[in-house]
Amino acid sequence: MHKIVLYMLLLVFFMTMFALQIDEEVSMNTLFRLKHGLNRAAHAAAQQLDEQKLAQGIMSIDSQAAEEEAYYYLQSNLQLDIDNIPLQGSFLESPVDVLVFEIINENRIFPYHYVNDDYDYEVTLQRPGVIMVIRVEYPRIYHVIGPITWVIKGTAELYPVI
Amino acid sequence: MKQILVFILFSALLCWFMFSPIYKHVLIVRQAVIQKEVDLLLEVGANGSHGYISEMMLQESRQRLAARGFISTDLQYTISTSNGGDGTDPARPVLRGIGIQLLISYPYQRLFDIDRLIGISPPDVSSRMTASGMKMSEYVP
Repeated sequence: MHKIVLYMLLLVFFMTMFALQIDEEVSMNTLFRLKHGLNRAAHAAAQQLDEQKLAQGIMSIDSQAAEEEAYYYLQSNLQLDIDNIPLQGSFLESPVDVLVFEIINENRIFPYHYVNDDYDYEVTLQRPGVIMVIRVEYPRIYHVIGPITWVIKGTAELYPVI
Repeated sequence: MKQILVFILFSALLCWFMFSPIYKHVLIVRQAVIQKEVDLLLEVGANGSHGYISEMMLQESRQRLAARGFISTDLQYTISTSNGGDGTDPARPVLRGIGIQLLISYPYQRLFDIDRLIGISPPDVSSRMTASGMKMSEYVP
């Protein structure tokens, strides 16, 4: 009889290990997906040229269009609705917080060194650009691992129009 | 005798327990591989010298995925653009400021069949895993 008990205990132990492993693998994939989504959002925002200033020969980012595009690309890449709440069937479960959305425009001196002590982030920009930081909670499958919250940072520079 | 009986009673559970994690692992890896493929195709397709994801690029992508063990005819690529354009024609690239959307899907095949051993019915045969993304084109004519 005691062997059955031993089998059951072993079964439980190994299942826990497998659950842990699967959750860790999925979490890495989720992190990569989030980072690429954020990069694309920052990239889209950084492409929004201010056409009036461009006519004067100044390369500048149109801040309103940049913000709209950033949110649109973030929401479509991370499958969120307009309030940043995950849609039905999304790979996320809890809302995404946009912590930082900052446009570094042509009024700075380049190369510009951006430092954000709150989120421990530093980046050097050669051209005007956009910096974004989001906070996302990982939806755990088995609850074997502790809760994971990522603060993901992304930057993109204005791509020159020849 | 009693032990053999116990073993027989537990055998289905034991089989599931030994092989199920491997199938789950295959599932995760396949999902990750098609997501990487989406990232690559968008990175290349949306850059300043392309602005499209052509049929030839999809052929090469199918070959890459076939090398990773995918059945290339089962892969489905869906390309669209944020302004309703085509996005697949090299002669008419997507211009800067317009997003290229790509979705790759692949059937689950029989990865969940092993769950029948413990009484969980697998998802529908036609259901597919998907990977998607959207990136703004950089192409300037």
